[in-house]
Amino acid sequence: MKIPVLVIGGGLSGIAAAIRIARFAPDVQILEQHSRLGGLNSYFYRNQTLFETGLHAITNYAEAGDKKAPLNRLLRQLKLRRREISFCQQLESRVEFYGHETLRFSNQFELLDSEVHSKFPQAYGPFRQLIAFIDEFDPFAPAPFRSAKTYLSELLGNRLLVDMLLCPLMFYGSSYENDMDLSQFAIMFRAIYIEGMFRPKGSIKDFLDLLTSHYKLMGGSIRTKCQVKKILHCKGQVTGVELNSGETIECDHLLSTIGSDETMALLEDAPAKSMKGDTRLGFIETIYELKRDEADSLPTDTTIIFYNKGENFNYSSPDDYIDNKSGVICFPGNFSGLPAKEKKEIRFTHLANYSKWKKLASDPEAYLAKKFATSKESRHLLEPFIGRFNHNIVFENTFTPVTIERYTSKRKGAIYGNPVKIKDGNIGYKNLFIAGTDQGFLGIIGSMLSGVSIVNQHILPKL
Amino acid sequence: MTNDEIKDLVLDIIEGIDDEADFASLDPDQPLREQLDLDSMDFLDIVMELRKRHQLQIPEQDYPNLATLNSCVTYLAPLLKDV
Repeated sequence: MKIPVLVIGGGLSGIAAAIRIARFAPDVQILEQHSRLGGLNSYFYRNQTLFETGLHAITNYAEAGDKKAPLNRLLRQLKLRRREISFCQQLESRVEFYGHETLRFSNQFELLDSEVHSKFPQAYGPFRQLIAFIDEFDPFAPAPFRSAKTYLSELLGNRLLVDMLLCPLMFYGSSYENDMDLSQFAIMFRAIYIEGMFRPKGSIKDFLDLLTSHYKLMGGSIRTKCQVKKILHCKGQVTGVELNSGETIECDHLLSTIGSDETMALLEDAPAKSMKGDTRLGFIETIYELKRDEADSLPTDTTIIFYNKGENFNYSSPDDYIDNKSGVICFPGNFSGLPAKEKKEIRFTHLANYSKWKKLASDPEAYLAKKFATSKESRHLLEPFIGRFNHNIVFENTFTPVTIERYTSKRKGAIYGNPVKIKDGNIGYKNLFIAGTDQGFLGIIGSMLSGVSIVNQHILPKL
Repeated sequence: MTNDEIKDLVLDIIEGIDDEADFASLDPDQPLREQLDLDSMDFLDIVMELRKRHQLQIPEQDYPNLATLNSCVTYLAPLLKDV
């Protein structure tokens, strides 16, 4: 069998890439190893309830008229109409360094601006310089790694402010320990602080269903439960793929969205590549489903809290199972215009150590007990700050880097992939390119734009 | 195709890319991109649509010929004369 264009991976970057191709050449197929699409942003059912994985909030909010905004560019490129999606904006979020300072922010940049003005008056002038810099800076121009932390420290001259500004940007998209590339920083700063956060009114399932029906209407096809065993190639040219079932599919163009190392692992007899940047950042997340309780004191006006309780903010792979000194607390029900649900939800996210969890996973009982123990520890640590909810929990589910690896095949469960990004998607083959997490655009809008831009650059002009 | 038909074709393609595009004050001798707020990604769609609708293969080095509405007509007229 032959299909002109194949896309490996049915996550959001793969779906966006495939829609883009299908607009002009309907002979395109997505190969997804799981029974469901979505990759890192998918869903599962427990007790007849749909739970979303991955999604806290979508960054890059933009109003309809702003044609140059990433969100609107993406919708145009995919020929999706804005009215097909209902946008619910965040209420208000904050960076909270307990015992130090709080910075509130929302989709109105003025809030963060006035917070910095009143809480870091001496750094406010330089902060305005930073905004001017980000306004002018082209983060997409090819450039070597430049430390955002060094740049910010020299400009702002205030370590606390630097760490507080970096904290949400790191948790929402950095595969790099304790620093960020300046370009990545500028992209994330715009995405989170200047543009802001939202979520669709429906679930991630509704969003995925919208994308897939749109894609199928254009003529594209999807195969789920279809794992690629190897990529067939000859003299730097890909000829097709071999599936786990033994079946082979020939193709003219192949786009892989499963990660750079994960793709290289499918290329048999490929020239050996040095494993650069092998540090992978793992995450652990617990979802709590809560009974509604009018007496609880949980925030109703806060969407996300990025917190740090340590003396210094440390964004690196922990030595222990998890590092709950910092993390993200998400209240998924607290978005403007979201219909009230019967139950409440809270999510805790922290950095986690993949190797420790992997070792423990061979003893399922101990693994499960450890998941409960770490969730309890986080609860004890955070309840004093957000309000007690322990007595209202009806369901809790914790996923570790091992869970993420099992369901998404992301190496070591590292949701933000390899710290070394391949911005042009080129891994040394004429007709094989990578898009998604390891290309370097992150978040839902970023990964979808990654799929679109790699297709625009490398596939459409050759069709 | 007549020159007017080619103009309509180009405008129709642009409308498909951005249904809020405002053609009322469009100057046919000024770049389309700046006037209509199109970026390079949108611009690629014009090329791809011409390929899809009329099997035109426009090489990358010829893209500058599609900069303004009038330059589109000049460039496309010989390619679409039998359509």
